[in-house]
Amino acid sequence: MTPANLITAAMEIGDLLLENGAEIYRVEESMRRICKAYGVDNAEIFAVPTTIIITIRIGEESPITLTKRIYSRGTDLYKVELLNSLCREMCATIPPYNEIKKRIERIRRFPPYSLPKQMLAFSCVAFFFTLLFKGTFYDAIAGFFISALVKVVFNALEHIKTNAFFENIICGAIIALGTLFFVKIGFAQNIDKIIIGTIMPLVPGLAITNSMRDIIAGDLLAGVTKTTEAMLIGVGIAAGAAIPLSFVHFFLGA
Amino acid sequence: MADMILQCFYAFCATVAFGVVFNIRGRALVIAGIGGALGWGFYIGLANLMGNDVIRYFIATLAVALYSELMARKFKAPTTIYLAAALIPLVPGGGIYYTMENFIKGNIDQALATGLHTLAIAGAIAMGIIIVSSSIRIWLDIRREIRKSRL
Repeated sequence: MTPANLITAAMEIGDLLLENGAEIYRVEESMRRICKAYGVDNAEIFAVPTTIIITIRIGEESPITLTKRIYSRGTDLYKVELLNSLCREMCATIPPYNEIKKRIERIRRFPPYSLPKQMLAFSCVAFFFTLLFKGTFYDAIAGFFISALVKVVFNALEHIKTNAFFENIICGAIIALGTLFFVKIGFAQNIDKIIIGTIMPLVPGLAITNSMRDIIAGDLLAGVTKTTEAMLIGVGIAAGAAIPLSFVHFFLGA
Repeated sequence: MADMILQCFYAFCATVAFGVVFNIRGRALVIAGIGGALGWGFYIGLANLMGNDVIRYFIATLAVALYSELMARKFKAPTTIYLAAALIPLVPGGGIYYTMENFIKGNIDQALATGLHTLAIAGAIAMGIIIVSSSIRIWLDIRREIRKSRL
């Protein structure tokens, strides 16, 4: 494997890991181990949530650097799992570049769950959380339908590339409006239980977990960024839900 | 008791569904689901022993994090794929909502109290993750050193 091929392969893997929700130290550590497995001990790798930089130097040759700007980040933990095992395999068996390239491409192309399945998952999260927080069965059914709508709107907003804060304000507002609708027509009873259950699918669980794991790994920059992201999402949802609810309090005095 | 089992079942289903939102597949979904049920079981199971729910959140997070780390070692997978989903039932969604509700009703004192309580819960969860992950790292380092010194 040529040095150029090596840093390209390492960068591809690091890039995919970061885009699909791995922690910063996992990205850096995986790239470092790959370089080491292929005989490059002095790889310098720097990753933050928006950029990865890798520099290697072999013997007396001039150093090679590759930089990658990361624009979009999503959550596909199955890809993280696949990349993690690919990385382990590379360190153990040192496969040639062509094979690695094919494997990476296959992982990159692996489709996430289809939209209907994702809608169903969103709805089930809301359904079971409404029940868990002591809502009635009808409350849970209301949460089920509102969440399916939220998923569609969320995807549409992501598609037109607004920011995360705005997306969550809109989704929070839809949740509150939907809940008020179901309660007003007499289908469900508990506004609070439905709203709490239905905001759960939007909760930034990965940001919370990864921010803490990044902080203990010493990646304070990434840790603080993700903590802020988690707080912004939380505030966004609450602010969004507050808008319709405060109008209800204003007009109906409830 | 029956109510507790039912609640753990709800937590299991909710966590598995959340796993799908995170695009987790196959065996990992079930493992994460069990973690979610475990955390919620600890949280409600300790209710009779201690009234302070921040401590209960902390202990439940310790249980979930330890479970996720062990499963990650067992199946040679990243800890995050189990931990991120299994922690979801413990996230204080209710706290966020009641803080907001108190604010729009004009009960500023109560809103601040609820808000601080919610932050305390978030802090307890964060501390739980930090303590378990750090301990596991230290333990792995010690084990590696012992193996090296034997050679």
